[in-house]
Amino acid sequence: MTPQSPTPPSVKKLTEIFFRIGNTTFGGGYVIIGMLGRELVDARRWISAEKFDLAFALARVTPGTNLIAFCAAVGALICGIAGAIAAVVALTLPSSVLAVLIMKGFESWQGNRIAMAAIGGTVAAVAGMMWATIWVILRPHVGGVTWNGMKRNLQVVLIAGGAFVASWIFDFTPLPIILVGTLAGFLWKDEGRL
Amino acid sequence: MKLLVLYLLLLKASLTSFSGLGSLPMVRNDFVVERHLLTDHQLNMAVVAGRTGPGPYGLYLVCVAYLAAGVPGAFMGFLALITPAFLVIPLMRWIGARADIPRVQGAIRGLLLASVGLLVSSSLPLTLDAYTGVLSALLIVASFALLTFTRIDSAWLILGAAGAGLAASFLR
Repeated sequence: MTPQSPTPPSVKKLTEIFFRIGNTTFGGGYVIIGMLGRELVDARRWISAEKFDLAFALARVTPGTNLIAFCAAVGALICGIAGAIAAVVALTLPSSVLAVLIMKGFESWQGNRIAMAAIGGTVAAVAGMMWATIWVILRPHVGGVTWNGMKRNLQVVLIAGGAFVASWIFDFTPLPIILVGTLAGFLWKDEGRL
Repeated sequence: MKLLVLYLLLLKASLTSFSGLGSLPMVRNDFVVERHLLTDHQLNMAVVAGRTGPGPYGLYLVCVAYLAAGVPGAFMGFLALITPAFLVIPLMRWIGARADIPRVQGAIRGLLLASVGLLVSSSLPLTLDAYTGVLSALLIVASFALLTFTRIDSAWLILGAAGAGLAASFLR
């Protein structure tokens, strides 16, 4: 078991770490979580590796952005509710302001041919990134060529494919699709692990 | 648009998703298809702004809210973005004891798979909007491949794509 410092840090110290890492690290959730692990578990030992892993696992099943839920969980484990609030706000508020400033920049550059050429390139890159995100979510659920693997692949095709068809062709709104998908997963008899 | 309605719409999108961009189908449905508050192009811009800077990818919700209702809207978007995160605290008590139950795992898996189908459905029109010619098609494929098969930081992809767009405009 990874040792944990017996005295928890102050909320101010915790805020400083989340502020620094959350607002200077590019690359999204997994990169930031890796940086936080290095700082909080390895360098400062404010939280044990086991608790850090628990926070990571539960953040994945918490609605919303995984990274923000992860920060709330780690903040709560280190400094209680005040730590959860401090970690979430320190990580997201400055980068939210920056995102809005970038958005405002996009708006004011609408008439500028050179700026729009650069933005057009980034819009295309982000479209590719969206498909990469889809693959990252889907990949752990794709099985091999074994009997159980084929059953899991059938589930992927039926639920993910069904959700796509219901939305794209039949114009169902997302909420009932998500509810039906969750129910189908609940009722599906599967010997494999998640 | 009333700020409370904006907050509730974004909270609904956030509460029914399980990743930064997972809320995209709900947001597109509510803001582009149903209420015509944004165009697909504006939604694309919001996603780009959310991914260009540091921090989580879900920040695009703040940009969507800014486009819908200015700075007060952006604040509502920020609140809607962070509110669901605090559910993890009671979840640490509740699910911690039930995470190994196969039915619970199955329900979570079903939810994630349905989200993937919806994400494909909402990414298609945004990709079509981003496609403007050969260069954009190359950039879409290259960024997908680089992010999937290498460990490159997405900030470099954004910078590289902006540079490619600039270079192409000078060559025309």
